[in-house]
Amino acid sequence: MAMHNRSDALSVAFAALADPTRRAILAQLAGGEADVSELMKPFHLSQPTISKHLKVLERAGLVARGRSAQRRPRTLIAAPLKRIDQWLESYRRFWEKKFASLDDYLLDLKKKETRRGSTKH
Amino acid sequence: MEARNTREKTARVTTPSDREIVITRAFDAPRTVVFDAWTKAEHVAQWWDPSGRPLAVCEIDLRPSGTFRFVHQGPDGLRHPFTGMYREIAPPLRLVFTTRSPSGAESVGMLVFSEHARRTTLTMTIACRSKADRDALLKMRVDVGTSRTLDNLDEYLSKI
Repeated sequence: MAMHNRSDALSVAFAALADPTRRAILAQLAGGEADVSELMKPFHLSQPTISKHLKVLERAGLVARGRSAQRRPRTLIAAPLKRIDQWLESYRRFWEKKFASLDDYLLDLKKKETRRGSTKH
Repeated sequence: MEARNTREKTARVTTPSDREIVITRAFDAPRTVVFDAWTKAEHVAQWWDPSGRPLAVCEIDLRPSGTFRFVHQGPDGLRHPFTGMYREIAPPLRLVFTTRSPSGAESVGMLVFSEHARRTTLTMTIACRSKADRDALLKMRVDVGTSRTLDNLDEYLSKI
């Protein structure tokens, strides 16, 4: 089912984002495309390590591989990040409803306290 | 209501690691009051259900290994329970509890209340056993959100 595929893709994207090096690589790519050797420099990582991380990001659909003859620049793909954002947003809304309700209740409590004439503050 | 607060009062959700969800939110009340609102049954019963209806069941045994049970009943008669066990109670600073999702996955909830100028910032960390559990929890909320929306649509359609 479509819903199922979507959440599976999200799980893969979440897993890819769980690693700080991979998040840093994405941040780097957000500034523009880069190839493996360009990515090695800022991270002080070996070529196989960078390639391994890129493979995970590619599988999650977060990074695409360009096709210029020698250089194979990687580019950031924003769509899966957006989906994760939507997922978190709906979770946030779930709690926000409760928190808004708590806000109202706290306001009620404050009013009651004022009416009672708070003793010491 | 209080428009000046709407922006800074919005809840923030982050996922600092692959097993955790962190929610931060500010409230216009001292932390002793906010802590009580989370830990006394007479308070929780009044705000837990955003529809404004008091909870059908609200039981709190506030001591380490004591349990809690919040049940809100939807207009459709469906009951949504939120149950768990308290692990650490340090009023008005910290509250730690464990809960179990309907699928049986256990998670730890940690509430930290910090106060500044009689306002409280609540930081709620939900730590799951695994990444799969964490993702399932996030997804479940999405599903709940979706069914709520459908409920609203249902209600609206019955009126027109």
